Amino acid sequence: MNEIHPTFRELCETLQEIRETRGSNAKISYFSSFLGSIDDEKELALAVQFTGEGAFDDLSGKRASVGSRTSGLAAAEFCGIDYDLVFKPCRTATGSSSETIERLMANIPRAIEKRSPVNQSLSEISHIFEQLSDLSGRDDKKECLHQAWRQMTPVEIKYFIRILGQGSLRIGFETRSVVASIADAFDADREEVRYAHMITGSLGKTVLLAKNKRLHEASFRLFHPLSFMLASPVESRAVDDLTQYVAEEKFDGMRAQVHADGKKVRIFSRDLNDITHTFPDVVSFFSERNLPATVFDGEICVYENETIQPFQLLQKRMGIKKPGKKVLEKYPALFISYDLLYAGDFPIFDLPLTERRNKLQTICEEYQMPVTAQFRVGTFEELDERFSLALKHGNEGLMLKKTDSPYEYGQRRKSWLKVKKPGGSFDTVVMYAHAGSGKRGGTYSDFTLGISVKNDERYEEEFIPIGKAYGGYTDEELRRMNARIKKLAVERYGPTLGLIPELVVEIEFDDIQVNKRTKAGYTLRLPRFKAIRWDLGPADVNTLQDVETFYAQRLNEDRLAQHENPSFNF
Amino acid sequence: MLRFQKTGYHGLYFPDLGIALDGYHPESDSVFVSHAHADHMPRNRSTSAFATSATIDLMKLRGFRGEATALEFGRPVETDRYKATIYPAGHILGSAMIFLETDEGSLLYTGDYKTPPSPASEGFAAPETTDFLITEATFGLPIYRWKPMDELSDEIRAFATETLNDGYTPIFLGYNLGKAQEILHILAPLGLPSMIHGAGHKLCKVYDDHNIDLGNYAAYDRESCEGNILVAPSSALSNGFASNVSRKKVAYCSGWAANESRRSQLTAHKLIPLSDHLDFFELIRFCKELSPKKVYITHTPNPDVIQHYLNNEGIESSFLDLEAEPMD
Repeated sequence: MNEIHPTFRELCETLQEIRETRGSNAKISYFSSFLGSIDDEKELALAVQFTGEGAFDDLSGKRASVGSRTSGLAAAEFCGIDYDLVFKPCRTATGSSSETIERLMANIPRAIEKRSPVNQSLSEISHIFEQLSDLSGRDDKKECLHQAWRQMTPVEIKYFIRILGQGSLRIGFETRSVVASIADAFDADREEVRYAHMITGSLGKTVLLAKNKRLHEASFRLFHPLSFMLASPVESRAVDDLTQYVAEEKFDGMRAQVHADGKKVRIFSRDLNDITHTFPDVVSFFSERNLPATVFDGEICVYENETIQPFQLLQKRMGIKKPGKKVLEKYPALFISYDLLYAGDFPIFDLPLTERRNKLQTICEEYQMPVTAQFRVGTFEELDERFSLALKHGNEGLMLKKTDSPYEYGQRRKSWLKVKKPGGSFDTVVMYAHAGSGKRGGTYSDFTLGISVKNDERYEEEFIPIGKAYGGYTDEELRRMNARIKKLAVERYGPTLGLIPELVVEIEFDDIQVNKRTKAGYTLRLPRFKAIRWDLGPADVNTLQDVETFYAQRLNEDRLAQHENPSFNF
Repeated sequence: MLRFQKTGYHGLYFPDLGIALDGYHPESDSVFVSHAHADHMPRNRSTSAFATSATIDLMKLRGFRGEATALEFGRPVETDRYKATIYPAGHILGSAMIFLETDEGSLLYTGDYKTPPSPASEGFAAPETTDFLITEATFGLPIYRWKPMDELSDEIRAFATETLNDGYTPIFLGYNLGKAQEILHILAPLGLPSMIHGAGHKLCKVYDDHNIDLGNYAAYDRESCEGNILVAPSSALSNGFASNVSRKKVAYCSGWAANESRRSQLTAHKLIPLSDHLDFFELIRFCKELSPKKVYITHTPNPDVIQHYLNNEGIESSFLDLEAEPMD
């Protein structure tokens, strides 16, 4: 008991060192030597899990559901400070709830008195996480947090909260770096460790395989999702040789992975959640075919009258756990596959794309299943033609895939490139500025943007919000905007400033959706800054009528049916 | 009750006393300038300023063209309407607080101040009590509690020597007046050569004249700066400062460095929370010690927080909306 190693404090201090170190090699070397110093296997597995996954391992899907409000309220109570009056402005200043709590714990005399840190093993901390997950009421959770914090230093408390959040620790050290550290700590090949992680889906299992020199045992398991391979936008990765790529149309649907073995079918979403129950029509499509064990990567779309329907209609299906008969009839879903990850009793993601596609083609023909059409594009002129055809199909654009690339799970590299249709853009006026968080803490970085309803009889206001954007500007632009915002501010609501509507911003977005809960009745998909229009004034911004017209055009756009020049074969 | 009003962005004017503080007013007989930072320094040529001799020297180097009279700490100046005494504010060299004693009661105006004081200043002293207190509260949140100066000095020296030992050039980011010289002063015992950004360099002379040791320093020279300890304002890096030196490491020195978010915003290797303002806890302690009838709070986006704590101490307070200091 007196010789605990590693203690939770040692882990947190290592994480803080990593946070304060620049350069990923230096960070990796810190963490790998920390891992190398741990003998106990359970503790070792927890060390990588806490760092790369969270309080619970990714496969468990478990969450402690302690939100930032719960931990903030608990911390304010612990420190004896007023949550609304004192805690909130502190959080606005730092841009981070957990950092605020760390510093209050270190500064407030009452909090210092209450804490007497003790050495705790990672298993003991894991036990606290389990307790928190079993509790349901906020008061019980707060009491549990108080008890835990009494035995911790401020830096332990900060990482305790971040680990509990099951997201990034925000120390510039993501899964790839954890994987690299595991390899370095146990003299294993980084690629081999990455592969084992892909197969097991668990950093904890991976580190034990690496430590015991059993990485070769990692094997793919059917009905456990594999991280998706992601595409980079084509602008950021110049293509010099088109002949290395093959093109497919990019559907405006929902990315999905289907595991099928006879009657058993599971569907996973891009965030690796099981969405089988949402798409019973897709499930029966596969179970009827009685396939041998196979895993497909592809896209779910609403497909009717030989036409891929707009994303807006697919949305009516998303998030519904058990769709009724009516919904299923009105919005029939179809899975269109474009990659194959498992076939003939073997994972095949290490094979080059061409070989995976050949196998996929064979299976789809044999079992009569839809598969994307692929095109060779030799020249940029051909690419443009294909691109406009894809748009006519109602699709988002094109995907370019490198023919010799393996399936790079969980990575966004240049093996897959997406060429997307430009969405739309509006000139809007900045109505509210919101204090940023994380690396944008301390500045106003999020903006509520408005459109004009000055001459619209349905509204009393001059401007109403159409969306919120928080990206697409440079640091310099953000600085300049912040200077201007301070002069335009007329009201303050905690972290939000109400502004005189003068600053005009051109925003770009992917699409428009109807949203009855908003004042405008519409929301924008992926709104981001295109340009700050210092040259324009509030009289120049777009109106709600412009938005309505744009939406109507999108929805009623004629979509080319699939019997000619199809974007997939079925 | 002493009447006063705002003048300009940062200044206050006392019509009954004919005096303005840190800002020009056409009807004022004289202007007290607490220190030579731009946001406190009046620009108007017809200003008749009084300030410490160090502040006057610095003001002149920074473009002040008015008339100026030097005051000495602890030596009161009397007119028929008030008696004025200045106290060292511990913020930067020359910084002073002014204590006005009048028939309507006494008032302490802090300007920018720091206690415990900056080692590159004349120290800190204050009257025992005052009726009214006008205080800045730049770091008026309980997330701000400074480490002891010894600890910060060790961090600064260690960053310089370790960075040099690793074969890199250390760059300290700190404001041109005050912070830059404080960093040089802290580094002086190392005896290592340093170079300071031009705008800060011309001000170092005033520090020399007032016997503050800035060590072995020279003006920044692009061609020969590699291997020296470099000191520059944070804006300099994006304007090409030392851009010819590829192996360099950056430490950002400011009270704002207490916030982790500044790390990625400035891509600094190290954040050193070296502030030239007092922290939240010192501020509350100082107010309690003076036990004024009323505290006026300036220079903070969160006056409610200070007011809440002063309320708990039974001290009346209100917010005086002078512009908050921009983050540099």
